[in-house]
Amino acid sequence: MNTGISWLSIKTLLRLELRSRFGSRVETPVKTHIGRAVNILFTLIVYGILVLGIYYLADMFIVRSELRYEFLVFSTVFTMVIATAVATGNVVKNLYMSGDNELLLRFPVNGAEILIAKSIYCFIHNLIINALLMLPFYIVFGVVTKAGAGYYFASIGVMVLAVLLPYFIANLVAIPVMMLTNFVKNQFLLVLIILIALICAGFILYMTALKGILNYLGEENVSLFSGSMIMRYREVAAKCYPLKWYATLLAGTPYGFSSAEVGLSFLYIFLMTAAVGVAAYLVTVKFYYKTILNGIETEKVSFHRKTPNTCRTVFGTLLHREFYLILRSFNYSFQYLAMAVAAPVMVYYCNDLAATMGKDSVGAAIVPGLTLMVIIIFVAIIVSFASTSISREGNAFYHTKIIPVSYTVQVSVKLFLYAIVATASVVLSCIIVAAAFGTEEAGNLLSPLDIGCIFAISEMTVLSLTCLAIWADVRSPIFNVVGDGELVSANKNLAVSLLVGIFVAVVYGVIAMILGFLPIEIGGFSVVDGLGDVYLILSMVSLVILGISLTMLYVNLDKRYQKIAP
Amino acid sequence: MLKITNLKKVYPKSDRVAVDDISFELRPGEIFGFLGQNGAGKSTTIKCLTGILPFDEGTIEVCGYDIQKEPIKAKMNMGYVPDNHSVYEKLTGREYVNYVADLYRVSKQDRTERLEKFLDLFKLRFAVDRQIKSYSHGMKQKICIIAALIHEPKLWVLDEPMMGLDPQSTAEIIAYMREHCAKGNTVFFSSHNLDLVKRLCHRVAIINEGHLIDCFDLAGNEENKANLEERFFKITGTYERRLFEDYVAQEQEEFRPDIDAVSDSEAAADSGFVREAVEESADAPAEAQSKTDAEE
Repeated sequence: MNTGISWLSIKTLLRLELRSRFGSRVETPVKTHIGRAVNILFTLIVYGILVLGIYYLADMFIVRSELRYEFLVFSTVFTMVIATAVATGNVVKNLYMSGDNELLLRFPVNGAEILIAKSIYCFIHNLIINALLMLPFYIVFGVVTKAGAGYYFASIGVMVLAVLLPYFIANLVAIPVMMLTNFVKNQFLLVLIILIALICAGFILYMTALKGILNYLGEENVSLFSGSMIMRYREVAAKCYPLKWYATLLAGTPYGFSSAEVGLSFLYIFLMTAAVGVAAYLVTVKFYYKTILNGIETEKVSFHRKTPNTCRTVFGTLLHREFYLILRSFNYSFQYLAMAVAAPVMVYYCNDLAATMGKDSVGAAIVPGLTLMVIIIFVAIIVSFASTSISREGNAFYHTKIIPVSYTVQVSVKLFLYAIVATASVVLSCIIVAAAFGTEEAGNLLSPLDIGCIFAISEMTVLSLTCLAIWADVRSPIFNVVGDGELVSANKNLAVSLLVGIFVAVVYGVIAMILGFLPIEIGGFSVVDGLGDVYLILSMVSLVILGISLTMLYVNLDKRYQKIAP
Repeated sequence: MLKITNLKKVYPKSDRVAVDDISFELRPGEIFGFLGQNGAGKSTTIKCLTGILPFDEGTIEVCGYDIQKEPIKAKMNMGYVPDNHSVYEKLTGREYVNYVADLYRVSKQDRTERLEKFLDLFKLRFAVDRQIKSYSHGMKQKICIIAALIHEPKLWVLDEPMMGLDPQSTAEIIAYMREHCAKGNTVFFSSHNLDLVKRLCHRVAIINEGHLIDCFDLAGNEENKANLEERFFKITGTYERRLFEDYVAQEQEEFRPDIDAVSDSEAAADSGFVREAVEESADAPAEAQSKTDAEE
């Protein structure tokens, strides 16, 4: 048997990988083309907005504050941290968790060939991500500083060089991540608790730091680009080892660095990358095959749980099954249950920061509108999970068709579960904000009427969003599952319902914030006068939307459901 | 028990009629075989009658209930075993069976008695409290069968039930099909195994390219039984005298290819050598390979 590496096999495997990601060249209907074009357009618009943001940032750093080198250092640190996180996820997903590992091992290819083919794919992926992340910063820097053509070539070189380190680090980190993943398999509750703790801790840390910075700026009466802050930026940038070497390499002699400094920076980067690369190579070669085999072997590892033969009502048994299928999946637990539990904590911290800032700059009357917006945004994130409620049935979808239970009851069970979880989240959020902002010590920023109305409007909105999310999934479910029946990735329904939820939250929030201040009169007749009127209008609108959503979901539901062909 | 009248099914975005004007009726107490080549329309017919797929024309009645007008009552009388054994893999076997029993409103006493019986019958007691995702192909098939039978359906529908099953399990399913029918219930199953259908079914229907071509008795009709293979080959358009004779010969004779005769002592020596070579190959595969080559 030939144990050497065949480049023909690697080429074939790489082609297979690309085909499986981007599909074969088959004729697609016009609708799909239009959908793709809209997606691309939307992505370009979002990207354009981000580039515009970078431009303004560059303007503040470079033109107004003369922080040229510091801008390069901070943007390099920022992009490389993100690139490392993305690369780690990419490597874990493609090299270790890819469902085709078992399939590929059956072919006459060895582990090294699979590793190389997948690594090439990951590297290309990371190169594209890095280019999309770094080049806008570097190009904007060149435009703002009116750099010569040489700078742009150099920025491409630095960008390519900067792909390697995050990629190698990702390969190093992926092994322990996978070992941990394999170790905690089937520890559902433990994982859920850890996930909730991590989400809450990360969020609290982030919000506390943000609030600390804003408080500091407020107390010291300094702006982000005051003289003392500029000095701080310079000090911090000077200490940003080792990533500042990339900035030094790019800035080069035109920005005051000697050739020796530039050369040394390159040498340091080369040595650092080589060292991490060798370590990643040795670790990966040693553990890759073992880890994927372990993944395949433990994929079928399951728990043993003796349960009594209990009788439940039809509604109860469907609810029980739905809940357990979510609880026993890491992905679903994280997407749904962990977020649902963490949402009130997030609402509190977000509201605390936004209310403090808004109250100081605009006035206390902004707080109810802000609270409404924040609560709906976070609960909308949870509710978007309902948009995969039918798709998640996966290969077992046929089961929903053969059981002697009407589709209306089956969908109602799903709606009930999501509504209960979302309601619990809304109630908890309201209690927390009431306790935090409704007391005398807090300045009575929220009255009991505010809390009651915020709850009523949020609840109706959340129910509407849940109905619409399920309606969308009944309309076009995507049964794209792997392994033991989990969805491959989020589908378009999820993205749309998330966007709709955030849009509604912002609209409601803005209306409540603005109309709370500005009374509206038409021909001397007062239409809106104060928050009470705003609440009334929003409640009515929410009620109408809820009615429409319920109608959309339930009218002809049996007929529409029956049309779904697995 | 089951009455299909003028069933027609066209898949969306497809010009081809998957099932065209099919009509037949199943009587209580019979085992009915449904034959056809791959893609002939067997699974489509089964998916229509179980309520999985909507259909364009015709009617399907299960125990007198129209599957479109009274789907709940119709489904209440039916148990279905799919060909792909897809189930909720994150549940344990017992949780899954209890879930199905709840949906069919089976009392606690009945489900416990039946489950105990089936666990012994299908030798699945050791795995029933494990998650289904750890089950083998055959075990998944067995848990699907148990779930389909937990409410003692009047009509038991199986889509290619013996595929991938070990001989013991196949024998157990056949035995239970007979037992189920003896109680006055009906079994309807699709299969590619002509020999099994010939020996087990009372009647058989043959479908080809969406059309029901033939439906005839096997029980008590020796001529039909003897001619089943020939009729199937002719109906499905694959009849060629030479191929058919080959098929019949394969059914009756041994057809393993000849190899050079090896004495027992040589075989023992060979297997011993091979075992050693395999053990060595764990450390030095190339070396072991060359040794084997040299020996040969």
